[in-house]
Amino acid sequence: MSASTPHYDVVIVGAGVSGNLIAKQLGLAGKKVLILEGGLPVPDSREEYMDNFYLALAKTPESPYPALAGRTGSQQQPVGALPDPATLPTPRATVLSIGKAPNVSYLVQQQPFTELHPEDKNPQNPPADNNGNVRGLQFSSTFERNGGGTSWHWLGTSLRELENDIRMKTKYQHAEDWPVTYSELQELWALAEKEIGVAASTAQQEPLEVVGLVYPQGYQYPMQAIPMSMVDQAVSSAVAGMQVPGTLPGTPGGEDPTLYDVFVSPTPQGRNSEPYDDRRSCAGNTNCIPICPIQAKWDPTITLGKALDTGNVTVSYRSVAYNVQVNGPNATRIDYYEWARDSNGSLTKVSKSVTGKIYVLACHAIENAKLLLLSNKGKGIANSSDQVGRNLMDHPLYLTWALAPQPIFGYRGPLATSGIESLRDGEFRKYRASFRMEIGNEGWNFSKGDPYTTTMDFIQGTNNSNVNPPPGGDGQSVRLGGLKLVQQLNNIFTRQFRIGCMFDQSPLTENRVTLDVDPKTGKANNVDGLGLPRPKVEYGLDPYTMEGFRMAAFVCSKVYQAMGATEFTVNGVGGTGDFTYQGVNYHYYGAGHVVGTHRMGAESKTSVVDASQRSHDLQNLWIVGSGSFPTVCTANPTLTLMALAFKSASSILAALGS
Amino acid sequence: MSAALTGFKSDFLKPALDPQGLARIYYVFAIAQVGESAMTTLLDAYRAIKTQPAQQIADTLLETSGSSPSPQAQLAQSIVAMWYLGSWYVPGVMGGGGFAPPPLQVVSSVAYTNGLVWQVMQSHPMGYSPFDFGYWSQAPAPLSSFGINTGNGGGE
Repeated sequence: MSASTPHYDVVIVGAGVSGNLIAKQLGLAGKKVLILEGGLPVPDSREEYMDNFYLALAKTPESPYPALAGRTGSQQQPVGALPDPATLPTPRATVLSIGKAPNVSYLVQQQPFTELHPEDKNPQNPPADNNGNVRGLQFSSTFERNGGGTSWHWLGTSLRELENDIRMKTKYQHAEDWPVTYSELQELWALAEKEIGVAASTAQQEPLEVVGLVYPQGYQYPMQAIPMSMVDQAVSSAVAGMQVPGTLPGTPGGEDPTLYDVFVSPTPQGRNSEPYDDRRSCAGNTNCIPICPIQAKWDPTITLGKALDTGNVTVSYRSVAYNVQVNGPNATRIDYYEWARDSNGSLTKVSKSVTGKIYVLACHAIENAKLLLLSNKGKGIANSSDQVGRNLMDHPLYLTWALAPQPIFGYRGPLATSGIESLRDGEFRKYRASFRMEIGNEGWNFSKGDPYTTTMDFIQGTNNSNVNPPPGGDGQSVRLGGLKLVQQLNNIFTRQFRIGCMFDQSPLTENRVTLDVDPKTGKANNVDGLGLPRPKVEYGLDPYTMEGFRMAAFVCSKVYQAMGATEFTVNGVGGTGDFTYQGVNYHYYGAGHVVGTHRMGAESKTSVVDASQRSHDLQNLWIVGSGSFPTVCTANPTLTLMALAFKSASSILAALGS
Repeated sequence: MSAALTGFKSDFLKPALDPQGLARIYYVFAIAQVGESAMTTLLDAYRAIKTQPAQQIADTLLETSGSSPSPQAQLAQSIVAMWYLGSWYVPGVMGGGGFAPPPLQVVSSVAYTNGLVWQVMQSHPMGYSPFDFGYWSQAPAPLSSFGINTGNGGGE
């Protein structure tokens, strides 16, 4: 180390959930910590981000956060001009860029048929291969690269995993086991629930004992539960007594004819039901994604503030790590670009280095993999297992939507307050993917871009929403104004709701992140604004996962029938996220639950990190976050990835010696 | 005219004490988009029938019973859309592929948070709730309490 290179106890890359939590824990123990954050600082006031959101043409998860899409639309660019990732210091995957070419999409990946052949009137989905796998699909999850990270726009869902989620291989001979015990996770979840401030009631969760959700004796959440929405209440009463079989006829591999109870459970949520941690109660802004306007929902900037309050933690913003130097079994240095925009808006960069006793990579499942592969002059580090970047998973999300027979008043409350969690475990997991069902409180906002689509339909006499002609009318699309417009829209909007099903997707080694470099020359094909190679992503679905979709479609339809609701789900063909299984078309969205790219395991031959998220290969390197999950499981990942960060912090302190 | 077109009370759109001044902002915005004369022609058409019941005014100006709306009716549509959604939709540009047409732009943050569509659904703008914790577990106030003009009077 040169005399001028700054030295810390611990250098952390990334100011998101894991990085901030670990920094806080280490700072409290008196350790000197530097966080290298590639993106912009946390703004002094979130009003700046709120304005970005209000003025965005498309209210996507990324819409409040820099770099922004343009604010003027056109037929060619309906969502405004999108920035070229090659001009940005910290480009990231965005909803608006999914399926686009690399001049728009940061992730380099296979484009869908409709993008490649826009004039072709007969769009097609990719064919299945001999094993029934559909390859060449788009990875549709996105992330942020700024102070606070992606969990600025997490939903707040704070479910625990089930016991069988983390022992799939032992119990169901599918996927992988986790190298941690359930009782250890229970202790770690309790810590994370306190940090986040999770509102829930163990008594309300008790019926989920049927899927193996159990709490230690006497455990109580930090605050009372969030009330169920009227949408939740309508679904809950309609499904009373409903049962569904474990598998449908024609499921490859085997049958599970057992009947499983369908019931609705209030969701444990990381938003305040009472003042907590100097933050106010949720006011039901129905905007958890993209941004909570009042910070009633926990986000990583809160933990970052506490880390900084220790006086031992420093954040260096606009600092993009691009190399972890190694020497034998040790990481020895991190090289990074400190970037700036000069007065002309041009990007400038200065290469700097920093050293620590211990290094922690906490910059997102895809960026962690990229940095590991990029290090050591592109030869990669911490990868003796060859698993870095592999087993990329998400919760592929199957969205269905319907009109209830009477007003149930969506567009009110947090985006989701309940779900059907009772189908998350059973013998069927030998044969098909399990899933949870999230009930949405935002009408057809996610499904159809409402209230915009339906409103414009009734003003202009179009039918993009499929509700004009209105149900029960004479079959003609109408144009309305005045009180008639009010009444028609009220009639539709107050009855809209949706269900999103999220699948425990199989880990596949061929679903992977690599560097977008020419294998012959080693030269990057597509780079970011700092000249760093971009992530290339390959993605597909196996029959086990797709069979989950078939079951989910069946259950959703059964729920809608029980309610007397009319289903309007549309699955396209040939577009991003479209695939065909057993002759039926489906569509998936990304859930933002990016998992698996540096999987944890007991064996160094088959995994990248151990149970404390410490590299098997490099004794002073921790690689943390949801990338460590061996499987994506059936709960939204934030709570568990924070729980694992608590474990990592303890192991780092132990390694440092107190 | 906007009251008749939108179905809302004129004093809801333009209160006596009006710190937001949206009616004026929308008027200026629309003229900047379509020009003074198109707006004057539409307003003249409104003035000729302003004593009729509000619904009749809306149906006439929006040509809701005609097979295809004239450019003047399409301007009236864009004015309704601006009040409802806080964004400017270029007259006559339709949506497709299952989604609304692209708005040219959101007029302003205040325009977004004052969109009438949120009143129509008896709720609040996404990201701007005036309500308190837990309101979502119970039914909202009746539609008539959200500024709707349920009577027949004309609008200014």
